[in-house]
Amino acid sequence: MNKKNVFKKLIMTLLCCALLAGIGLSATACANKGSSQKNRTKFTIGFDAEFPPYGYDNGSGEYVGFDLDLAAEVAKRNGWELVKQPIEWNSKDLELSTGAIDCIWSGFTINGRQADYTWSKAYVDNSQVVVVKNSSDIKAPEDLVNKIVAVQADSSALSAFTAEDASEENLNLAHSMKELTQVGDYNSAFLNLESGSVDAICMDTGVASYEVKTRAKKGAEYRILEQRISSEQYGIGFKKGNVDLRDAVQKSLDDMLADGTFDQIAKKWSLEESVCLGQLGTDEAYLQDDREDISTGLISRAIDIAGQLLSGMLATIKIFLLTLTFSLPLGFLLMRIRACNITILSLLARIYISIMRGTPLMLQLLVVFFGPYYILGINVSTSFRFYAVIIGFSLNYAAYFAEIFRAGVEGIPQGQTEAAQVLGYSQVQKTWKIIFPQMVKRVLPPVTNEIITLVKDTSLAFALAYTEVFTLAKQVSAADASIFPLFIAGIFYYVFNALVAWRMSKVENALKYYD
Amino acid sequence: MNVLECRGLKKSFGELEVLKDINFEVEKGKVVAILGPSGSGKSTLLRCMTLLETLDDGDMAYSDMTVCQSKDGKASYVSKKDLREVKKKFSLVFQNFNLFPHYSVLKNVVDAPVSVLRRNKKEVTREAEELLAKVGLSEKLDAYPSQLSGGQQQRVAIARALAMKPEIIFFDEPTSALDPEITAGILRLLKELASQKMTMVIVTHEIDFARSVADEVYFMDGGLVIEKGSPEEVIDNPKNDRTRTFLKKLEK
Repeated sequence: MNKKNVFKKLIMTLLCCALLAGIGLSATACANKGSSQKNRTKFTIGFDAEFPPYGYDNGSGEYVGFDLDLAAEVAKRNGWELVKQPIEWNSKDLELSTGAIDCIWSGFTINGRQADYTWSKAYVDNSQVVVVKNSSDIKAPEDLVNKIVAVQADSSALSAFTAEDASEENLNLAHSMKELTQVGDYNSAFLNLESGSVDAICMDTGVASYEVKTRAKKGAEYRILEQRISSEQYGIGFKKGNVDLRDAVQKSLDDMLADGTFDQIAKKWSLEESVCLGQLGTDEAYLQDDREDISTGLISRAIDIAGQLLSGMLATIKIFLLTLTFSLPLGFLLMRIRACNITILSLLARIYISIMRGTPLMLQLLVVFFGPYYILGINVSTSFRFYAVIIGFSLNYAAYFAEIFRAGVEGIPQGQTEAAQVLGYSQVQKTWKIIFPQMVKRVLPPVTNEIITLVKDTSLAFALAYTEVFTLAKQVSAADASIFPLFIAGIFYYVFNALVAWRMSKVENALKYYD
Repeated sequence: MNVLECRGLKKSFGELEVLKDINFEVEKGKVVAILGPSGSGKSTLLRCMTLLETLDDGDMAYSDMTVCQSKDGKASYVSKKDLREVKKKFSLVFQNFNLFPHYSVLKNVVDAPVSVLRRNKKEVTREAEELLAKVGLSEKLDAYPSQLSGGQQQRVAIARALAMKPEIIFFDEPTSALDPEITAGILRLLKELASQKMTMVIVTHEIDFARSVADEVYFMDGGLVIEKGSPEEVIDNPKNDRTRTFLKKLEK
């Protein structure tokens, strides 16, 4: 292996660092999005765009509906921008768990799903009913024997007939049907019903009465069987554990109920018969403790906590990589200044190094962050918090690196400089061709030490209330009343450092080709 | 014609006067040997002539290029830019070789001509391969200095010096860091260079070698040139007591 390859490797490693820093930066930006309601600017709701009157396309490319109106009002009251995100119903859980949407707000049935989401209070009481053509001979659910019945895929009606917790009566009824067919949306269900390819549709009562009413205007006559298949309630489903957002939304809904806005909107969509917000028996799912199942399995708990710590981990990695990116070159520059012939500059460099090494890093961080205000009277923005962390760490580590580099350069035999001088190398050539490569090899072990210290020092960012993994772990630990999150943070530090040590030993090995 | 001419060189380290008043000259194509006990100032003289040390006083010039002139009892050097040109005139082979450990043998020889003299890399590489073949290291082009014996490293150092195509090469005790059996090989190589009319200045303790290869011998002691002349005059028939004592010690 020749020297060029080694330096390519070194440069690649540095580039990777920079790249990871970039990724870390954008990833934390994403991760931060869900962390606090105060910083929220957008409120993305997922809904079935073919589910009138709760949410649907009004024919001119605009999404409207009862749920969308409620969501718009809630967003307005919280100062959020509402994003209406139509979703494929089958992938609603994926959308929610990846954070692509903040909640499912789409005539979403609570019954049977209590444990899967963090719920708002029920706001619509809906029941599953059967819709048939006016001319049909079906008068009651038992007449569905040997008939073809349509339900929407993954809908409450389907679960009313097939789910594990469905009533025996409904299960038997489903068995006795000729076919229980699933359709993608209600429009195609009604087309099927109209054409006679299905005999009945089982669906939510609110939707049913809306559909029957609107279709009657177009001359198609349907009726709803009096006897219901099942009773159910609608709520807004949030990602399990996202209690903060749920509470914010619920509070707005409660306010809207109190000042009449809620009922106004319900009336607009002819749902005044169905709404149930604030009534007895609507907060069962809302009151369940969403943290209770955290204690289920150790591994799933560890994964859950690691997920909560993710934004902190990314913040730590970001501090680490950016500090290295700046402090290593700065350290080299500082070492050169300290070694230069201009006495005053050299002296300043010495004083700088002495101060940075002689005072606590935490103090330096505070000075960098608050200094601009207290010394210069400049008002600092919140985003400066992060820059202050990076500046503070870089300035401090540059001093240590400068001294390590100095020792590395001084360890190079005088003869190397003399040989370069006699051969006529310029000062720049001598530095970069002869001194720098030999210095790098000499300083690798102490630099590795310093880098590993840096990984652990990143936790000092808490001094500026910058949330990295340790700060976050302490918070989660307090909320969780357990030491487990701190333990997970410890594992993170250890694995991170193991990776750093492994990478550095690779570089060290690559430079072993000469002595 | 003189490749190097020095008049009244003076150099002190603090209170210690290392070079008192040295006159030194090297004629083109000639080999000059500098003998003398340790502390006599011969290494300092070499370091001053190769610009590793700065003279306090004196005149120095390489062929037609002035290095420094005595002005008001102080050596006044020419500009840095001119000194860079002066450096192209000479090469130095160190006692400890001082090869660049992170460069391969070939790169050690090729790098300076390419990056300092801005010569074509292909051409320099071809010449370097020839030079390394000449010093018997064709097999070691891709080896690193630490993989070579002392003698082999010194051969690379000589090839590196020759690759700069200098007008004159200085050798600072080129064999004193080597085993006796390896010394013979290096001395043979230097003799060969001498026979090709390479101008050389060699600081050495090898009396026999100096006698057989040098055209002129300087004997130094206490910062002064005590005696100067042909090997027959200085080595075989020394006129000065100090020369005699020194030579006798070496014979033992």
